[in-house]
Amino acid sequence: MANTSALSRYNELWPPASTLSFRQQTRFAPLPLPALARLWPNGLPRGTLCEIHGPRSSGRTAACLHILAQATERGEICAVVDANDAFDPAAAAAAGVKLERLLWVRCRGNLEHTMRAADLLLHAGGFGMVALDLCEVNPRLLNRIPLSYWHRFRRTVEHTPTVLLLCSDRPQSKSSNFNKLALKVKVFHWYGLRLHGLSMNAAMENVRGEPLEIKMAA
Amino acid sequence: MYACIHTAAANPADRADDPASRIHADDPAGRIFDLALQFSPAIEQTSPDTVVFSIAELGRLLGPLHQIASEICRAGHERNVEANLALAANVDTAILLARHVPGVTIAMPGQERAHLESIPLRQLPTLPHLLELLQRWGLKTCGDLALLPENGVAERLGPEGIYLRNLARGTIVRPLRRDAMPTNYAERMDLEHPLELLEPLLFLLGRALGELCRRLRSQSQAARVVEVKLELVEGSYSCNLEFPVPLQEKQSILKLLQLHLECHPPPAPVMAFTLRMEPAAPRRVQGGLFRPPVPAPDKLQITLARIAGMVGKENAGAPVLLDTHRPDAFALAQLNLQPAAPETRERPAALRLAFRVFRPAPRARVKLAHAAPSTVYAAGVQGSVVRAAGPWKTSGEWWDQASFWNREEWDVALDDGALYRIYLDLHTREWYVQGVYD
Repeated sequence: MANTSALSRYNELWPPASTLSFRQQTRFAPLPLPALARLWPNGLPRGTLCEIHGPRSSGRTAACLHILAQATERGEICAVVDANDAFDPAAAAAAGVKLERLLWVRCRGNLEHTMRAADLLLHAGGFGMVALDLCEVNPRLLNRIPLSYWHRFRRTVEHTPTVLLLCSDRPQSKSSNFNKLALKVKVFHWYGLRLHGLSMNAAMENVRGEPLEIKMAA
Repeated sequence: MYACIHTAAANPADRADDPASRIHADDPAGRIFDLALQFSPAIEQTSPDTVVFSIAELGRLLGPLHQIASEICRAGHERNVEANLALAANVDTAILLARHVPGVTIAMPGQERAHLESIPLRQLPTLPHLLELLQRWGLKTCGDLALLPENGVAERLGPEGIYLRNLARGTIVRPLRRDAMPTNYAERMDLEHPLELLEPLLFLLGRALGELCRRLRSQSQAARVVEVKLELVEGSYSCNLEFPVPLQEKQSILKLLQLHLECHPPPAPVMAFTLRMEPAAPRRVQGGLFRPPVPAPDKLQITLARIAGMVGKENAGAPVLLDTHRPDAFALAQLNLQPAAPETRERPAALRLAFRVFRPAPRARVKLAHAAPSTVYAAGVQGSVVRAAGPWKTSGEWWDQASFWNREEWDVALDDGALYRIYLDLHTREWYVQGVYD
């Protein structure tokens, strides 16, 4: 009898991996922009870490800014943690971001400050979206970030309405992300002496399927 | 139960009627407040000559109502107060009885109407045209008005008539309207020994803050500014913390104070300190069911203070575009935490290429071919130009040497697959890479 109660208490404390548990319904942040809606038909899942990566001029910043624009238009407070101080407020305003609802943290190349600032913001709570911009950061420094950091970020945003959006040159968060979008520039479109736009290939790495071609105006 | 004291000086006609049953006084307006304060801290100063106070808790101490009335009369006699006294179950009945019934009146619960019925209608606080109408109906006393049916009064006189009828019946129940006492939001502490470390100082500051926050909450106020003055062994130190959202919580204010003092520590041991708060109305925001949540203001302020302590105050905030054509012109302001209704656009903006700025712009070596860039060499950016567009000439603010700019900009696609914006500073004839389209 005593053994049975001890076993049940043990199972309560450390449930076996085979136990079925009720999973909360995922809420989504809608993305009415057609180009992005093809990638995320339901919108960005809240309480997750989403990653966008690609080389320079692949449209990763544009995608991030448009996602931020949708969030600030919904009245949410958002934050950009900018590792390399490369955020352009004029470009953000042109993309439709409501700057008065955007917190910009300029870390001026200090990766430790970047990660700590992101951690503090995620723990403060209440943000609709926190964009962590790690583009153009030295790969040697990025490789030193322990995997546990991304796991910690993922656990922090879990069950909150916040979306942690990671923007980088290469994939960083490994298995801690929910969606990983890889962007690659395909061709620049020129119209005489002016840049008319670009076409890029966008592929969801966690989802099977052909890459989508997305056109972006200059 | 409530007791009302009304000074006789305000009503000389009544005083002449029954001088014996009066509480005596020399300075009625000034002393009745002290008399009321002797029995209860919950006092309403209805007018300079009338005070009402709660006697709900006096029953266990003094006994039944007539005993309480006799104690008040005795205390008034000792203080030389001359006034009417009325005890009733509600505030307005006590005021009416004290003002218009001479002597001591005790209206037991349920008997208010009987005591009020002899009071003339003209003594009720009402509008002249309503009083004239009631007198034309032939009503002269509160008893006459109390007999009228409620529905009929409501149909003919509206809410004002219903209020008067209830007043005449003694059935209006309301709490006391207490005046806020002037509060001092400052605390000073002299130390026996000078404090060198921050931790014991914060412990003492926390105690003083706790007392100040208690005072703030008791007055339904919050702190907008906290001023700290430290008296040091040599000289003094002061700092002002101004909060974008008024705070009431001791822990939040103490944490912000700690973060500030850690960044700007006092230069010498502390001998004494003074804490002063500037009160303001607390932030009251009704969140909507369909409005997105915003960060808790006190928590966000602490987070921002921590981030500002790490990256610098000038590196965290909401960006604001400046009213100029100068490239990369912006300032950082405070974040707007007001919950905003979602904005709906009929058609979402198309996906457009964004721009990433290199700060500071790296200097570049650019080779030209046919007056257009052919190769670009800079820190982190190098390659042959595949295609170039330009030059786009911009200049401005020639009247200010510090912010004057004059440049030729080019959009160049390099063979590394990226598209950059480079510019030639026409003042220094140097090339720079401004950023990358992304």
